[in-house]
Amino acid sequence: MLPTPYVTCDYEKVYEPSEDSFLLLDSLEDEQLFLKDRFKNKLTVVSEFGPGTGIVLTFMMQNHIPTMGNSLYFGLDISPWAVKTTLETAKKNDCDKSYLDCIQTDLGSNLRNNQVDVLVFNPPYVPAEKVPLVPADEKDIHTWLDLALEGGKNGMVVTQRVLDNLGNILSPDGVAYILFCAQNRPEEIVKDMIDNYSWKVELVKQRKAGWEVLSVYRFSRR
Amino acid sequence: MKFLTTNFLKCSVGACDNSNDNFPLRYEGSKCQIVQDETVEFNPQFLLNILDRVDWNAIVTVARELGNQSLPVTKPQFTHQNGDANTASNLTEDELAVLQDLHVLLLQTSIAEGQMSCRNCNHIYHIKNGIPNLLLPPHLA
Repeated sequence: MLPTPYVTCDYEKVYEPSEDSFLLLDSLEDEQLFLKDRFKNKLTVVSEFGPGTGIVLTFMMQNHIPTMGNSLYFGLDISPWAVKTTLETAKKNDCDKSYLDCIQTDLGSNLRNNQVDVLVFNPPYVPAEKVPLVPADEKDIHTWLDLALEGGKNGMVVTQRVLDNLGNILSPDGVAYILFCAQNRPEEIVKDMIDNYSWKVELVKQRKAGWEVLSVYRFSRR
Repeated sequence: MKFLTTNFLKCSVGACDNSNDNFPLRYEGSKCQIVQDETVEFNPQFLLNILDRVDWNAIVTVARELGNQSLPVTKPQFTHQNGDANTASNLTEDELAVLQDLHVLLLQTSIAEGQMSCRNCNHIYHIKNGIPNLLLPPHLA
């Protein structure tokens, strides 16, 4: 079992790593060989949308996922607190030697097309009346935190934006790891991506966590 | 933000997606504070792999804007960089020197504070404490 990063920060501002984060770590641990084989000795561009504390990116850097010394890591988060915390978490875990940049932005809207080899996304998946509006003030910490959780109708509004744009985000060999909860109805979404958009989708891991059933799927081009 | 990251960022304004001028962003040299981190270790193989991947024209453009006029117009080629033989083990001393210079520029150079804009819509973005903020105001998002 691979080591888990040491994380400590102000959880009033940034989403505290929970069952969903840990399922993503376990999924990436399982996927190590698949990723190594897929990208071999090439440069790999890793992007996480919504890294929050940075636990997943730091885990990947610490354990050289996907490749040893051959990856660029980008953490893209809408929250000013999350981008700062992601950099701090990397530092606290001695990942200063890895190539990491964090950018405050909305999902992949400022990434040059077709550059991401490995996309990791633990979205705001909780069903809610609507996705909160982006606050004008950095100090509005409650809203920044809500943005990390609330996913609008079926909890799918934000995730759907990424799925709709996946063809522009991923490189030709790129893969995306996206987390869902049962209320997102992932089976229907996966079927739609396969039938109507020709993606290859595989379930990597599924786990019951309290009242939630969480799953991580891998998306790639057919 | 490290220099190499400029090779991955475009303007976030949706209307610029159909423009060829939304990448790279235009960096305002006089308003950018550059820092060097000499502790980043030189790894020639990593550099070769990065060169394989980058948009060289964008590297040259941004380097000029930030005051570095020394880059060649065409991407440097390495004699042993053929197909599978893309390996750093047989590089000549001159080639290693070229890679070392690129290492300093791409991986050791960061923009700590600064300003950049879109060549198409002229929207201005800022970098503070090494973190670029590319979030758009609500009327542009």
